[in-house]
Amino acid sequence: MTAIRFGRRGLLGSALAAPFIGRASAQGGDPYVVGTLFPLSGPNAEYGGVFTAGAQLALEHIEQDRMLKRPVRLQAEDTQALPQQAVVGMNKLVNVDRANWTLVGFTAVSKAVAPIGDRAKVIMVNGGAVGPDLSGLSPYFWNVIPLAHLETRALLPYLVGQRGAKRIALVYVDDPLGDAILGILRDELPKAGGQLVGSFSVPRTAQQFGPVAARVRQVRPDAVYIASFGAQQSQIIKGLRDNGVSQLLCSYSAMNLDSVRSLPEANGLIFTGQKVDFEGGDAITRRFAADFRKANGKEPTIYNVNYYNATRLFGLLGQQVEAEGGQLGGDSLRAALLKTRKFPLVGGTGEFDDAGNMMAAIEVNELRDGRLNRLAG
Amino acid sequence: MDAMLVLQLLLGGLQTGAIYALTAAGFALIFGTTRVFHVAHGATFTLAGYVFVFAWNAGWHPALGVLAAVAVAVLFGIGMERFVYRPIQRHEGSFFTVFVAAFGVSIVVQNLVGMVAGRGFANVDTTLSRAVEVLPEVFLAQVFWVAIGVAVVLFVALTAFLSRTHAGVALRALAQNPDLIRAYGLSSSRLSVLTFALGSALAAPAAILMAMTTGLNEAVGNHVMLLSMAATMVGGVGSLRGAAVAGVLLGVAESLVLLVLDTQWAEAASFLVLFGFILFRPTGLFGVVAAR
Amino acid sequence: MTAYLASLATLAAIFAILAVTLNFMVGYAGIFSVAHAVFFGLGAYAGAQVALHLVPDALAACAVAALIAGGLSLCLALPALRVRGEYFVAASLGLQMMALTLFSEAKGLTGGLGGLIGIPPPRLFGFAVGALPLSLAALALILLAIAAMARGSFGRTLQSIRDAESAAEALGKNVAVAKALAVAFACAGAGVAGALFALHMQFVNVESFTLEQSVLVMAMVIVGGTGTLLGPVVGAVLLLSLPAGLAFLPFIPPTEVGAVQQIIYGLAMTLLMIFRPAGLVGDLSRGRSEA
Repeated sequence: MTAIRFGRRGLLGSALAAPFIGRASAQGGDPYVVGTLFPLSGPNAEYGGVFTAGAQLALEHIEQDRMLKRPVRLQAEDTQALPQQAVVGMNKLVNVDRANWTLVGFTAVSKAVAPIGDRAKVIMVNGGAVGPDLSGLSPYFWNVIPLAHLETRALLPYLVGQRGAKRIALVYVDDPLGDAILGILRDELPKAGGQLVGSFSVPRTAQQFGPVAARVRQVRPDAVYIASFGAQQSQIIKGLRDNGVSQLLCSYSAMNLDSVRSLPEANGLIFTGQKVDFEGGDAITRRFAADFRKANGKEPTIYNVNYYNATRLFGLLGQQVEAEGGQLGGDSLRAALLKTRKFPLVGGTGEFDDAGNMMAAIEVNELRDGRLNRLAG
Repeated sequence: MDAMLVLQLLLGGLQTGAIYALTAAGFALIFGTTRVFHVAHGATFTLAGYVFVFAWNAGWHPALGVLAAVAVAVLFGIGMERFVYRPIQRHEGSFFTVFVAAFGVSIVVQNLVGMVAGRGFANVDTTLSRAVEVLPEVFLAQVFWVAIGVAVVLFVALTAFLSRTHAGVALRALAQNPDLIRAYGLSSSRLSVLTFALGSALAAPAAILMAMTTGLNEAVGNHVMLLSMAATMVGGVGSLRGAAVAGVLLGVAESLVLLVLDTQWAEAASFLVLFGFILFRPTGLFGVVAAR
Repeated sequence: MTAYLASLATLAAIFAILAVTLNFMVGYAGIFSVAHAVFFGLGAYAGAQVALHLVPDALAACAVAALIAGGLSLCLALPALRVRGEYFVAASLGLQMMALTLFSEAKGLTGGLGGLIGIPPPRLFGFAVGALPLSLAALALILLAIAAMARGSFGRTLQSIRDAESAAEALGKNVAVAKALAVAFACAGAGVAGALFALHMQFVNVESFTLEQSVLVMAMVIVGGTGTLLGPVVGAVLLLSLPAGLAFLPFIPPTEVGAVQQIIYGLAMTLLMIFRPAGLVGDLSRGRSEA
């Protein structure tokens, strides 16, 4: 619980710091506006705090490096991770704040705001949701996070080959993400030498996993793949462990949450994520990691990285557009993205495809005593 | 059908059912005695659970934590009676007015708990909830025996209180006929405070058990409230025994339904049971009062 | 700015439709339901499917949505209305919870948790129209219908049922039919709101039709005042503008805005029930005896 508190305190602290007021004189003109559409309240607020911390650090760096000719202002709109609130927030960002760039998270939010951003030609960047249905929502909708099917695909060789886990059971929330993971396990496990022995769909609001655990044990898996997100993940892990599922647990990047890390039952959990080397990486990565620790007093997570990258991308593309003498609009920024394609970001070079999806290397991590150890990738 | 799986699901359902039975008995006691549809019973549950988690994390002795949780539950219950329900009933007591007022309080509690304790998952880390294999393929945790034991002891104690003590008999009389109580010179308002205290206290052990097993989140009260309400109706309004039995039944149904249906339907099962009863047997299992 | 305000006004109009129709059940007929979001959802899915697969005509979408939501509510209400008070509320709560599971699982019709995307913007007889005029027109029509009904014999029947059901029955009113019709009308209205919502948002998924949404609509009715014509409209506008209003209060940390907002309407519900059960717009003397 302390972990959850951190996010809020961190955010509050930085909100109070209000780093951009009074500096406008140094750089000319009205500030650019980066809008965020994150859940700042409700059951998914923990993510909102984490996302914002990454974006905020990137804005500070953009400011320090004088990347853009104007200051940048962060405008936060609370979505509660719900589509209706997101549409209101996006309309405000587009029409009132005249946002040059928006950051989104969560699948339903992304899908709800995509038509608005599309019409208004405002770039929307997702660094949190990983449902494969997020690809190609709009020419102005980009993903700086490898979508989940890439992650699951990368896990299979390790799982079957090195851990000898051939019989996999899946506990999943039946949304497009869970569906995609189910499809990949069903189709690609056999190719890797494994087998999907059972799949158990749970409602997103379910809290009671004892009976599910009994069904999971019955199919005698070597490993259990969990595809959910938010607070429910901890409950699934505890529910399975408490009820006699002692097998290997594995999942995807959504597990990278403090509440999961601090859960004793999650010890030994394996999950995939974007490959980022905070110690041995390049200068950008090391600077990010060092400043993040300084500002927040803790290790950065992959979501901090993604939203840092999503915001840094604005700085990089904006610089390019400004240099060409253009205005920072959706079309000019998109043209710049498609022209350059590769960008120096935290974790290494990020390369974008035609639809605006970033491809990245995937690593397999193991959670041990609250720390992540890289196992493969 | 796999007999061991049936046994496992049955035992798991009983453990959940014991928790539901405790909250349902509290709700049924309050509703049956005072006719207040105490929707904020879920909020009592949430508060008690979080107080226990807080005490546990602060390193208090567990017994102290239990006491604190019960105390908070009782105080909240009494507070609701004194400051919300009584003023409303003084000028008019339509069911909907009470329902909305209590619902409002539940929303406030849920969000305050989220603000103070953080949103998301909260639990106490204990080995009590770690299951071990007791029979081939059947896993049972110590908390199972705790849950069953607590539920049985409290239920027996409550029944004894209601039938053997003066106050208990007066409570039952209040349920039957409030005017009679007044005619005998007893204070119906003091009795209804007592009812709220007792009913709310029953939510505390249930909340603690849930903090140990599935864990809590700030919205857990909604679910608990729905189940208590369902159990009260399935059991038959006015019957404590009915509510407790129905609570166990709902827990078991939620678990056993996995034998025939896919896992995502577990939650819907309890509400299907509720629907069936409301439509076809509104007096419930042990109903003494006809559906009005 | 205008586009933002128009989008807010559209949502306000849609929620006003939800609130006035729920109020028709609660305030005029005395039927308490916390499942209004279910019929809102049915309408949204129906409207979305019509717009996606048949014709993006707002009138067609609304008509189909009203038929489906109204028709299904009739099927559910006929048996459920045999019981009263607590039982009906409990049944509606149960319905709300089960409907969420159904909405999530019936992927062919609802897109499941992923929802339906790419819903075309509304058209009327082949011409593109804004969602705002449509929603305002629908709201006005529904308000007119309610006003007419309240004054007519149907409204009087309903009010007599609300105030004294047994007496109404004794006077030879057909209580069951009157109540069922009231439910069907209210839920058809919620369906229309749903269709407009789908056309306005161009995306719908199950997260808009939760218990929280039902509670929000109920709060709108209560804050505005049950049994009044315009009260729920006021309630809808007030509660929808609450988040925007809170944004101007700098001492609320941004991460707590959502929670504070919920606390405010939770408190409003409770305090109003204690001190002013007739709501903000309601007539106090009448409210005390009947609300």
